[in-house]
Amino acid sequence: MFAYYFQLGLRSLRRNPILTALMVMAIGFGVAASMTTYAVFRATSNNPIPEKSSQLFAVQIDNWGPEDTKNGEPSSSLSYTDVIGLMAAHKARRQTAMYPVGPSVIPADAHLLPFNVNSYAVYGDAFPMFDIPFLYGSGWGAAEDDGHAAVVVIARAINDKLFNGANSVGREINIDGRNYRITGVMDSWNPQPLFFDPVNTSGFDDPVDLFIPFTRAIELKMGTAGNNNCNKNSGDGWDAWLHSECIWAQYWVEASSKADADAYLRSLQGYAAEQQRAGRFRWPPNVRLRNVQEWLEFQKVVPPESKISLLVALAFLLICLVNTVGLLLAKFMRRAAEIGVRRALGASRREIYGQFLIEAGTVGLAGGLLGLLLTGLGVVGVSWVFDPKVARLATLDASLVALTLLVAVLATVMAAFYPTWRAAQVQPAWQLKSN
Amino acid sequence: MQIQPILAALKRHKAGTFLIALQIALTLAIVCNALFIIQQRVERISRSTGMIETDLMAIQNMWVGLSDENASEPLIKADLQVLRQLPGVQDALATNSYPLRGGGWSTGVRLNPEMKKPAAQTTQYFVDDHALATMGAKLIAGRNFRPDEVVAIDPKKFQFSPTVMVTKALSDKLFPGSSALGKQIYLSDGTPPSTVVGIVERLQVPWKGGFADNFEANSTLLPVQLTGNFTTYLIRSKPGQLASVLKAAPEALFKANRMRVLPSERGVRSFAMVRQDAYKSDRGMAILMGIICVVLLGITAAGIVGLTSFWVGQRRKQIGVRRALGATKNDILTYFLTENLLIGLGGVLVGALLAMGMNLWLMKQFEMARLSPLYVITGVIVLLLLGQGSVLAPAMRAARVPPVEATRSV
Amino acid sequence: MLKMTHLSKVYRTEVVETYALRDFNIDVKEGEFVAVTGPSGSGKTTFLTIAGLLETFTGGEYHLDGVEVSHLNDNARSKIRNEKIGFIFQAFNLIPDLNVFDNVEVPLRYRGMKAAERKKRIMESLERVGLASRAKHYPAELSGGQQQRVAIARALAGSPRLLLADEPTGNLDTQMARSVMELLEEIHREGATIVMVTHDPELAARAQRNVHVIDGQVVDLAEDPRFHAHVAQVADATHGR
Repeated sequence: MFAYYFQLGLRSLRRNPILTALMVMAIGFGVAASMTTYAVFRATSNNPIPEKSSQLFAVQIDNWGPEDTKNGEPSSSLSYTDVIGLMAAHKARRQTAMYPVGPSVIPADAHLLPFNVNSYAVYGDAFPMFDIPFLYGSGWGAAEDDGHAAVVVIARAINDKLFNGANSVGREINIDGRNYRITGVMDSWNPQPLFFDPVNTSGFDDPVDLFIPFTRAIELKMGTAGNNNCNKNSGDGWDAWLHSECIWAQYWVEASSKADADAYLRSLQGYAAEQQRAGRFRWPPNVRLRNVQEWLEFQKVVPPESKISLLVALAFLLICLVNTVGLLLAKFMRRAAEIGVRRALGASRREIYGQFLIEAGTVGLAGGLLGLLLTGLGVVGVSWVFDPKVARLATLDASLVALTLLVAVLATVMAAFYPTWRAAQVQPAWQLKSN
Repeated sequence: MQIQPILAALKRHKAGTFLIALQIALTLAIVCNALFIIQQRVERISRSTGMIETDLMAIQNMWVGLSDENASEPLIKADLQVLRQLPGVQDALATNSYPLRGGGWSTGVRLNPEMKKPAAQTTQYFVDDHALATMGAKLIAGRNFRPDEVVAIDPKKFQFSPTVMVTKALSDKLFPGSSALGKQIYLSDGTPPSTVVGIVERLQVPWKGGFADNFEANSTLLPVQLTGNFTTYLIRSKPGQLASVLKAAPEALFKANRMRVLPSERGVRSFAMVRQDAYKSDRGMAILMGIICVVLLGITAAGIVGLTSFWVGQRRKQIGVRRALGATKNDILTYFLTENLLIGLGGVLVGALLAMGMNLWLMKQFEMARLSPLYVITGVIVLLLLGQGSVLAPAMRAARVPPVEATRSV
Repeated sequence: MLKMTHLSKVYRTEVVETYALRDFNIDVKEGEFVAVTGPSGSGKTTFLTIAGLLETFTGGEYHLDGVEVSHLNDNARSKIRNEKIGFIFQAFNLIPDLNVFDNVEVPLRYRGMKAAERKKRIMESLERVGLASRAKHYPAELSGGQQQRVAIARALAGSPRLLLADEPTGNLDTQMARSVMELLEEIHREGATIVMVTHDPELAARAQRNVHVIDGQVVDLAEDPRFHAHVAQVADATHGR
C-alpha cells in the first residue's frame, strides 16, 4: 500500500498547486535555515580529538588571587613561573607547556620573500599527546627539550613550499635568521576547533605550520604571538616580564584514566598549596583541570552568533510547521468528500491515516529537496554571517544531506498528525447525506 | 458588525483559529527580536571611527630576523621616510593599532595612584605627531604632539609617557562636566602620571563590539613609537590616489628592506576593506535576520490566505444564505476582516508576551540589550496589518458568492 | 441477506431527541431487488447508511449476511463494506483527482489485491458498463450518466453480494436514468441483491418488492392512512415538475 499512497501523495501535490507550493516552500525554507545554522553549530561544537578528548586536560592555576579573578574562576592562561614549576614536577604521564609564537621563515632562495608561520613553542610530549601524524620523521625528545635544541617540526604545506614535498628530515630551515634542524614533517593535522589554544584563536584558525621547542623559544626571548595579560606592571625588560605574574602560556597534561586525572588534580592542588606556603599565593589553592570538551565549553568556542542563529532558525522551522499544520488541515479537509467515499468503499481509519501521513511525507520530501538546495546555498552563504575561519568548516556532506531530508519528512509527518486525525474522523455517512 | 456571532463561529473552528493565532504569536516574537538584533547591528555598523576614512589605508608589517626588540627603531624611521615621500601619499604614521583593527592595547585609567578600581578603560595608540593629520581626527582643544616629544621604546619596557592626548569621550568619563585638558592621569600603576595636552573629538577603539562596547570611544594617544617585531602603518593618500598608493606602498617598502612579512591576509588593506572586514559578521547577521523576517512574514501571510480560503470554501452555502437574507457584499467582507482581526488580536497579545520573554532569555544567555517596547508595538501593528492584508483576497472572494448559492445542494 | 429487527436510530442534541428510525423492521432475502420508498425526511437514507455500515444505530439488531454487526469495530465494518457491499450514490461520489480506472480501483486496493487481478477486474467491470474506452478520463470529462456508470462499475468491481443504491438516477435526465436502471436490472438478473432508495414511483415499480418508509418506520401500504396522503403528495410533486 505504501507505493499506492506515495503515488496518491504525488498526485495530490499536483492538485492545489498553490497550496502545495506554499507548504513545500515553508518546509524548504524552515529546514534550510535550520540545517545551515546547524552545519555551523555542528562544526563549532565538534569534538576535535574524539579518541583522546577525555584523556587530555588543560590546567588552570589562580596566580592572581580573588581580587583580580572573575567569580573565583582562575584565568585561562598561566604564568611562566607556574608552567616551568609544573614541568619540573613532571607529575603527569605526558605534559607540555605551550604558547603561540609568530616567527618568519627566510627561504634559502633569495628571490622568495620571507613569510610568517603560524607556530607554537611546545615540549616534545606534545606530539604523542595530541596524536600529531607524521609524514616523515618524528617529534623531538626530552634531550632536545633539555638542551634548548635548535630543532623544528614543520607542516606538510611548509615542506611542500620549501622542499617540494621531499623528505626534509635532517635538513636545515632558516627561521628569523637562525638555522634549525627539521626532525619531522607533519602530515595534514588540523583539528577544529583548535582545542589546545582557544584562548588565542577563539577556537578557529589556520593549521599550525611549525613547532619549536619551548625551551629554545624562551632562550631566544621570543615573545608570545597571542594574548599577554598582566594584573600589574611587569617591570622593565624580558627577564622581569618572564618572571612576573603576567599570564600567556597554556599547560596540557595527558592522564589515561580517571584515577590518574584525580591524582594529577591532587598534585596540582599540592603545587598551589606549596606556592601559598612559600608566600607567593596569598590565597588557598584554586586550580582547575578540564578535559578537552569541558575546556572548549568553558572557553565558549561556539560563537554566540552560531547559537542565536540556530535558535532563531529552529523557531523559524517551528513557525513553518505550524503553518504546515494549518495548510495540511485545509488541504485534507477540502477532500472530506473523497475521504467519505473511500471510507464507504471500505477504507479503515488506519488506511486513511496511512494515505494522508504518506501524502504529508511526500510534501515533506519535496520540501526537503527544496531545503537541500537552499541549504547548499546557505552553506555557501554562511561566510556572510560568520568568520570565514568558522564558515569554511560548515559543509554539506552526506550526513547533512540525509539529515536535511529526514528532518523535512519527519517534521512534516509530525505536523500532519492532527490534520490526519481530523481526516480519519470524517464519517462515511456524513458526506453521503450532504449530497 | 457584531462580534458575538463571529466568536460563536470561531468556536466551531477551534483548530484553525488556534493555528493562525499561534503562528501570529510566534512570528511576532521572532520578528520583534530579529528587528531588534538588526537595529543593534546597524547601529554598531554606523558608528563613526572619528577618522576621515576615504583615502586611508593600513599596512600590517612584521620584521624578520631582528637581533633585538630595539633593532626595528631605525627600520621604522626609514619606512616612514619612504612612505611620506612616496608620490600620491599625503601623510603616514607608524602605530600599534587603529580603529576597527581588532587587536590593540588597553588599560585602566586612574585619576590618582591610590584608586583601587580604574575610573575608565581606554585603548592606547602609540603614535607620533603625524597621527591627527594621517587619521583625519579632529583636535578640539589643546595641542598636537611636538616632534621632539616623540620617543622610541621597546614594547616590553614601556612604562609611561609624560604627555598624552585623549578623546572627548574619555575626558567626559574621567572628568564629568569639565575637561581633561591640562590634568594628570595614571595609565598604569606604580608609574608617574601623564599630562593631557590635547582633546580629540572622537577616535574609536580597535575593537568593534563585545567587551569594548562600554568604552568604544575611550582612546588615549601617546607620543611613543613602539619598536619590536610588529609595526602597523596608516597611510593617507592624496585625494583620489588611494588605488595607486595601495599598490606602490608595499612595493616601496620591500624595495627599502626585504626582511619583512606583510601577511597575505589583511597585510595591505584600504580602510574601506578594514571596515568591511570588521563589520562583515554584523552586516551578515542583520541581512540574515532581515531575510528571516521577510520570509517569516510571507509564510505567515500565506498561511492566513490558505486557511481563510478554506473557510470561505467551506462556508459558501452559509455566505449564500446570508446574502439571500439581505447581507451586502460589504457585510461579508467586514465579517471576514473582523474575524481575522479578532484572531490577530489574540495572537499578538500572546506574541507580545513571547517576544519579551524571548528577549529576556537572550539577554541572559547572550548579553543582549533590553527590547524596546517600540519594537513590540511596531511588530503588533505590522502583524495585524499583515493579517488584514492576507485575508482581503479570500474575503473578497467570499463577498462575490452569489445569493443563489443558498439554493445549491453542494 | 439483510435483516433489521426493532432497529432505532436517535439523533441527540442538547435540546431534542429525534428518532430517524423507530422500531424499524426489514428482511431482504438473497437475490432480491428491493426498492425503499418514502417522502423526504422519512428516514430512508438513514436506513441505507446504516444498512451500508456507514453509520451506527442506537437500538435493535441488524444481521448482515448472517452476522450481527452492532458489536463490530471500525476496522471490521470497513472490511465488510469493502468486501460485501457496493455503493451507488445519487451524486456519483467519484474522486475527482483520480481517473476512471483509478476510481474503480479504490475498493480493490483496500482489499490488498494483486495488480494483475485488479486490472482484470477493473477492465471487466468497465466493459460491463460500456466505458472501457474511457479508463484514462477524469470524472469531470464525463457526462452525468457516464459518471454514474463508472460509479456502478466501481461498485461491481469487488463482486459485492449486496448493492446499495441511493437515488441512483436522481441527478440524471430521463434517457440516462433509463439506461442506468436497465444496467441495475441486468446486474440483479445475474444474482446480486440490490436495495435501492428512491422517491420515484416509476423506478420503484421496476423492483421486485417495495418497502415504504414513513416517519422512520416501515409501513404496510394497504393499511396505513399516511400512505394515501403521501401518494397524493408525490403525485403533486411529479406534476409540479
